[in-house]
Amino acid sequence: MTDYQKPIPAIQPWTREFWNATKQGKLLIQKCQDCHSMIFFPKKVCPECWSDNLCWQEASGKAQVYTYTTQMDMVEPKFRADLPYVIAMVDLEEGIRMTTRIVNCNPEDVTIGMNVHVVFEDISPECSLPMFQPADETLRRLPPCIDECESLATRSGSPVSPDTYETIIYDIGGKNGAVCTITLNRPSKYNAINYRMAAELIDAFRRVRDESSVGVVVLTGAGEKAFCTGGDLEIFPSLCEHKSSLNWLSHEGLDVQRAISGCEKVVICKINGHCLAGGLELALSCDLIYARESAMMGATEINMGLLPGWGGTARLPRSMPIFRAREIIFSGRKDYPAKDMYDMGLLTRVFKDDEFEEQVETVVKNIASKKPEALRMGKEIMARSVDGCDIETALSVERNGIQWLTYAPDVQKMMEGFRQKPSDLLARQKETNLRSDNK
Amino acid sequence: MPWNCQGTTWHGLLSVHLTAVAEEKGDAMSKKNLAIIGVGEVPTGTYPDRSPWDIIYESCIAAVRDAGIHKNDVEGVIAVAPQAQNQLAGEISFGKIPEELGLNGCRDVCTCNAGGASTSNCLRLAEQYIESGLAKIVLIPHVTVHSTIPVPDLINFFAKAGIDLQWEYPFGNTYNSIIAMMTRRYMHDSGTTDEEMASIVVSLRKWAALDPNSIFYKKKVPSVEEVLSSGMVSSPLHKRECNVLGDGGGAMIVTSAEIAKKMGKPAAYKRGESARYFSAFTTTRNNDEFVNGFRDSTREALDDAGITKDDIDIWNTYLAYPVCHPIFMEAVGLCEPGQAGKMFMNGDTWPGGKMPWSTIGDAVGRGHTGSGVSMATYIETARQLMGKAGEKQVPDVKYVFQNTSGGSGMNFIATVWGRE
Repeated sequence: MTDYQKPIPAIQPWTREFWNATKQGKLLIQKCQDCHSMIFFPKKVCPECWSDNLCWQEASGKAQVYTYTTQMDMVEPKFRADLPYVIAMVDLEEGIRMTTRIVNCNPEDVTIGMNVHVVFEDISPECSLPMFQPADETLRRLPPCIDECESLATRSGSPVSPDTYETIIYDIGGKNGAVCTITLNRPSKYNAINYRMAAELIDAFRRVRDESSVGVVVLTGAGEKAFCTGGDLEIFPSLCEHKSSLNWLSHEGLDVQRAISGCEKVVICKINGHCLAGGLELALSCDLIYARESAMMGATEINMGLLPGWGGTARLPRSMPIFRAREIIFSGRKDYPAKDMYDMGLLTRVFKDDEFEEQVETVVKNIASKKPEALRMGKEIMARSVDGCDIETALSVERNGIQWLTYAPDVQKMMEGFRQKPSDLLARQKETNLRSDNK
Repeated sequence: MPWNCQGTTWHGLLSVHLTAVAEEKGDAMSKKNLAIIGVGEVPTGTYPDRSPWDIIYESCIAAVRDAGIHKNDVEGVIAVAPQAQNQLAGEISFGKIPEELGLNGCRDVCTCNAGGASTSNCLRLAEQYIESGLAKIVLIPHVTVHSTIPVPDLINFFAKAGIDLQWEYPFGNTYNSIIAMMTRRYMHDSGTTDEEMASIVVSLRKWAALDPNSIFYKKKVPSVEEVLSSGMVSSPLHKRECNVLGDGGGAMIVTSAEIAKKMGKPAAYKRGESARYFSAFTTTRNNDEFVNGFRDSTREALDDAGITKDDIDIWNTYLAYPVCHPIFMEAVGLCEPGQAGKMFMNGDTWPGGKMPWSTIGDAVGRGHTGSGVSMATYIETARQLMGKAGEKQVPDVKYVFQNTSGGSGMNFIATVWGRE
């Protein structure tokens, strides 16, 4: 309810009682006690006689469909997840016509003249929306169970694509489009993760897989305060419910991790400020982690009696000696300096603040200049290897992966020249080694 | 009851008083003193590279030249407020047009906003400027450039335009959905078929294909089947039954009937007018009042002009979506109830038909330029009466009926225009 992203009614002082009643499941109609007019939309004074002697009468909630439409397309992004949906005007028994939605039935079963009953959808602490469902119970379709069926798109408000991203920035650049930068873009909220951001991250990391020019993805945060401080407080009320809480972990959480770790590009995490809780777990899903010296890090979940739930307990001990990982998780500290984290074995490198951008850019530029297929293969081989398989399996995966790369058409084309003149290969290799040694 | 001033008694007294005043003055409403003597247009299209001011220049200069006057003859500028373009609206409201165009004879300027009914109100205001002696010649311009409005702003504007933020918007209502509901009910009550509804689009697009100022000029006219096979937007409304947003602009030069007559050039003379207000929102609109309002205001405008509906040569209607065309046709008695769809289907309303109808193709055919379609419709009315309508010229036009309507159908302004 609290993450309801669609518009809520613009309540006026004289309509507040109507909306308060909807929270108790009552549909009220305004009535003039002087001229006895039934009034809708509710007004400050009676539109017939200008009397302010107005009262409220509870409606039966029974109505007939006057007209309706099934909305199929061309709606605001915040309504897209609802499509198709039925908008209708219904005539209440009391003689009032109102606009509503017809719910809990197949759109094709709705007809003009259909008898309907009011039901309420709870959308905010202030009001519920009066919707209508068929009076004929045989036409009713069970309402979707919010906890079980609510899709990510529904929760996040609308389908996601780079054109509609609201919480991240997706930018492909670098030489030959080899670098995709994904920026968490809620700087005023310390780039905290909400449902929308989770959906957008999943979309972005799945999308970038298909960008053939891209070899490296850089994940960073907008602004100077934070890389990411974890789950936004706005999602917490939804975690009060058992299944909803589990879904946040198993749907959004797991999907974000999988989208990053499985995106088949080298993902470089660029920690430019606070990196806490879920933010640390985002970093742990990446392949390389570079941090600014002033960045503060930690896993704070234990302070609420919880544990990291987006892969923290699984990935942290796999990323550093376990006795150090335990301290990070058990202490709940949020003030580990980046340098300490590096000393404990977590980070790839830490750079001085004033050199951070330049140094990371050099790293990114270098890796992005490598062949994307080789980077992808390397990422996968190493991922399987550290997953805990036996050494023979790991070596087999390595061997076959490299063989696949060797027989790629472009590599073979290059090899063809050397087949003709093996001495060329030797000369070329010698020259490369000398150049490297002299650097 | 602090505001109850025994309204019925006062209302009664006021009515008696106003009636007496009207009788004393004679039927003042019938004394129209306005003529359109020049028009200019920038074709409806997509011009992200053109500034609104570029379009204003072109259409206004064309209108002044068409009228055969000097720019400094313009003594008043009454502009249609550009919808959804706040910056431009501010600039125009604060008098930039006379300054930009160097209208050195201009004595006053204002902006008028009644949505799609703005142009009608600009014309009414122009009558007052002229009647009061403030101006002899008035320029009425309009411009809309939708293509450079940021998409979120456009969505935001059109999602809420004419839709109540408390009682309609939260349910996911859109402009298309309110029209779709109206269409569904009309089809249910009248027995009009999907094919007949689609044939309204066909008729409008046939006119548009002849109109050099339409986005569909010389474009293939879709068949009924092609209209019905376009994607469903909001049942029963298909994509081709909705409007395409466009950029464009238009301008008119108006003056008094006497001056127009003295100038001795073809002009369009305002002959009659009436109007009805219904409601701001479709939920609260009484269908009977709506249909009767079409009928009564049209009859009053015809009476005002001293003619009957049989004298009208062109029904130049601006009704934005297809559905109100048959509703209007039936309300006014131009066909039997429930038969309007057949009129559109069998060609009565097409170019060359016995009842030329909406000869720029309304918003469906022209492309939607915000409140600019009403301007385009007035320009077409003038062109038809001046004999300047090109390929779509209806022969021997003496009288044109034209209406406008604003918001989500909040009102209906009926006007009658004549060649003399």
